[in-house]
Amino acid sequence: MNFEKVVFGFFVVLAATLNFGFFIGPIDNPAVHNEWELFAAVVVNLIALVMKFGDRTQIGAIHLATSLVASLQLVAAAALWAIFTNVSDGALNTEQISSVVSLSGGALLANIISVTLLVVETVSFRRQ
Amino acid sequence: MSSPAPVRRVASQGPSTTAIFLVLRRMRLPLIVLISLFAISVLGLTLVPGQDIEGQPWRMDLFDAFYFMSYTATTIGFGEIPYPFSTAQRAWVIVTIYLSVVAWAYAIGSVLALLQDRGFKEALGLQRFERQVRRMREPFVILAGFGQAGEVVARSLDRRDHRVVVLDVEPGRIEALDLAAFHSDVPGLPADASNPHELRRAGLMSKYCSGVIALTNDDEANLAITMSAALMRPDVPVVCRTMEDVLIERIRAFGSPIIIDPFNLFGDELLVALRAPHAYQLISWLTSNPEDPLPKAMAIPQHGRWVVCGYGRFGGHLTADLRRSGIPVTVIDENSGPLEGVEVITGDATDPEVLERADLGSAVAFAAATNNDITNLSLLVSAKKANPRLFTIARQNDPANTPLFDGLPIDSTLLPTKLIAHEVLARIGDPLLWDFVQQAQHHTDEWGQALLERITTRCGTERPDIWTLAMTPTGAPALIPHLEQATVAGLLRDPQDRTRELDAVVLLLKRGDAVLLTPADDEPLQAGDELLLVGMSYDRRALDTTVSVPTAAEYVLTGDRVGQSWIWRTLVDR
Repeated sequence: MNFEKVVFGFFVVLAATLNFGFFIGPIDNPAVHNEWELFAAVVVNLIALVMKFGDRTQIGAIHLATSLVASLQLVAAAALWAIFTNVSDGALNTEQISSVVSLSGGALLANIISVTLLVVETVSFRRQ
Repeated sequence: MSSPAPVRRVASQGPSTTAIFLVLRRMRLPLIVLISLFAISVLGLTLVPGQDIEGQPWRMDLFDAFYFMSYTATTIGFGEIPYPFSTAQRAWVIVTIYLSVVAWAYAIGSVLALLQDRGFKEALGLQRFERQVRRMREPFVILAGFGQAGEVVARSLDRRDHRVVVLDVEPGRIEALDLAAFHSDVPGLPADASNPHELRRAGLMSKYCSGVIALTNDDEANLAITMSAALMRPDVPVVCRTMEDVLIERIRAFGSPIIIDPFNLFGDELLVALRAPHAYQLISWLTSNPEDPLPKAMAIPQHGRWVVCGYGRFGGHLTADLRRSGIPVTVIDENSGPLEGVEVITGDATDPEVLERADLGSAVAFAAATNNDITNLSLLVSAKKANPRLFTIARQNDPANTPLFDGLPIDSTLLPTKLIAHEVLARIGDPLLWDFVQQAQHHTDEWGQALLERITTRCGTERPDIWTLAMTPTGAPALIPHLEQATVAGLLRDPQDRTRELDAVVLLLKRGDAVLLTPADDEPLQAGDELLLVGMSYDRRALDTTVSVPTAAEYVLTGDRVGQSWIWRTLVDR
């Protein structure tokens, strides 16, 4: 067992699960989308992004690209959330929470691709 | 991200690493630490209880916490926003300040350490080298081995405005490239040129690569370089220096590389000089660097006995060459057995008695050919003492000893590195000049003397420009319509005043496969002819005008002054 692979897999999967946790639920209901979960998703996604730096293989390049997309979308979602809560001063209305959640939905798609790549890589890896 | 194609190309070329990937790899951990500590700080700030202005319990939201951390971690420090902090919040802020300092220090320290890293520097150097080679847009020569001979070759090529790419196993020699003042940029890479990958990296596959020169000190490496160049680029000329006869046979198996064996070469040149001293003087002058002075003519005695001290690689070749020309030779060597057709004296030549047995008084020439410079010098002094009229030849092994050899009245000195450089330049430079050298070697001495006199009266005794002119639509666009009126001498006239002859001489005319040495003045020119000219640079420019400006060409060839403007020409035509 390679400890580096464990850490790598952990962060890639955690990034996807946190993202999924935030995204799940009716899109226009602020009560089911947790602010803290979004924060955790942003942080873990950024860490996953940095972990993918410097791999020169083709699959490494796609890994990096998906993480870049996910991080960008989540950062955009967090920025929207911050603007909405501070400008309108108070809870988010249905339109506002919908745009935040839909952005995180896009990030989720990128994270799913990333996890799929991880699985494909693992399956195609043959034990010597 | 760069596109995948160049990434794959680099990866297939062995263990080279691109600098950007090294940076990214090294920055992984510092960046993760930075993100984590930032996240912990922000999270902590939102959890620690505080109070607003009215004293109501209040907690920071994520946005405010992120804002506060951003300006605190970057040491901007706007103060406690939006409300003054509680003691608990201040306690946590102390922790976050130190956390962020550690994270930044670690990240910046990693980058600085990376910049100092040897591997990283090498990766940067390699990248720079590859970029320089890729961006070369003019013919260049790959020079493997930047030793003494290599340096002379590189310098001379540079003086002739020919680009060079240098490979050498010694990193120190490549570093010396930066200090050496070259006119043009000379990319250098510390690498083993016998590795085909490194040759490819140095631009062997580039369409601008015009030759490969293998001048390393290792004969095996030279063989490997010649082999890979011949296999990967059969169309590119390869020049190879070698010292051993066995290797010459092995090298010849790969195409037709040019093999330079300095010891053999010296004997061959000596025979040319012996037969036609002026032709030899002319050849060595024309193949020297621009503005070099005319070398003095060698007065080699035509008849009489030679004494050769030291029967090594040089002595052996020299003796054989002399024997072939029917010149009697006496060899003095400690270990030599009897040789056919040669008088051999076995003994130490530095011993006066041994030297006396060679009877220098009746000899005409003396060659000190041992592989020890000090021995050679002392031999020369004793020989000159025994017979002051002797023609002397010295083998100089170490270029550093040049002042010592210059101090003695030696008629001809063999310095292998210099000879190699000279030969390489003659071969790799202009192909027409090499044709000229080959033909001139077999011409009579009278011809050489006459040509030498013609060139020196026109151009002086500093080596003038040498250039080629092709009678093609691109080489001489203005001449092509008037070619039937053009002769060799008719062309060499001033486009300002056609009564003045240009200070230039045509050395050679190449028509198809036929080569005409010093063509007659009334030799008509034909389309496709190539001319090799020698002359002053100002008249090279004048000739450039003639061959490229139609009115100038017409004036030079026919004497008719044609107006350049359309109006004038229309008037004249009526």
